[in-house]
Amino acid sequence: MKVQVRQEGSCTIVSIQGSADVGASPALRDAFLRAVDAGATRIVCDLSKTDFICSDALGVLITAYLKAHGRGGFVRLANPQKRLRELLATTRLDHLFDVFPDVACALKDA
Amino acid sequence: MPPSLPKERRGPSVPSHPTETPNAAGWTEEVLPTRLTAIRESERKVLARLAALGYGEDHCFAVRLAFEEALINAMKHGNRMDPSRQVRLAYRVSPERVEIRVADEGAGFRPDCVPDPTVDENLQRPCGRGVMLIRSYMDEVIYSANGTEVRMVKYRANPVRGFPESGRRC
Repeated sequence: MKVQVRQEGSCTIVSIQGSADVGASPALRDAFLRAVDAGATRIVCDLSKTDFICSDALGVLITAYLKAHGRGGFVRLANPQKRLRELLATTRLDHLFDVFPDVACALKDA
Repeated sequence: MPPSLPKERRGPSVPSHPTETPNAAGWTEEVLPTRLTAIRESERKVLARLAALGYGEDHCFAVRLAFEEALINAMKHGNRMDPSRQVRLAYRVSPERVEIRVADEGAGFRPDCVPDPTVDENLQRPCGRGVMLIRSYMDEVIYSANGTEVRMVKYRANPVRGFPESGRRC
């Protein structure tokens, strides 16, 4: 898994490439914590190249959501592929996160 | 109380002689340390078996997810990450189905008492989704009476929930 973090205007884009499995979730947690500790509260997670997410990694996203939300911000999900969309629906986390078809849509009105 | 595993379907309960290659009954048995990084290598071997038999990507995703969740649960919640405890794993992959058994050395739990992570008041909880995901993505899931062991089966003939078969291979 590769995690890339970049700034776009007032938003922080976190892109996850590959599998966010249990072996990768510590690195994912570090990336999100670093972003939040640096003051990021408006976060878009680009899932267009993410092929797998375990519950541990979902927990990282939820923790980031809680931190950002607590500071008046958000964590939005962009472009999850078919299996991840199904996973979000199965867990009903698509009711917690706003899910957008791509990063550009997620940045609108941000 | 969940039913105890029927003996005739149990397969190897305690892999006293872990095998890298399947035994006569087709089971591969491993004993894993309680270390999350140990999961990936076993997972790689299971998925390689599925790929060799031409299972589709949706089935591979489902098995991978359930496999990982079962082992995370065994290590984190069962063995409480105690490095002196082990996790026993057995799996059997045939052209028709994938069977996985995971046993920990913890105190056990009652799967039916795990709070439903999909209800609104639990959506913000960062953990507690493993059991639900295993049940959602596998066709048969049976916990032992004390909850320290789970047996799960995915049938090739059954579509993965929500996925129209893409036909792509993993």
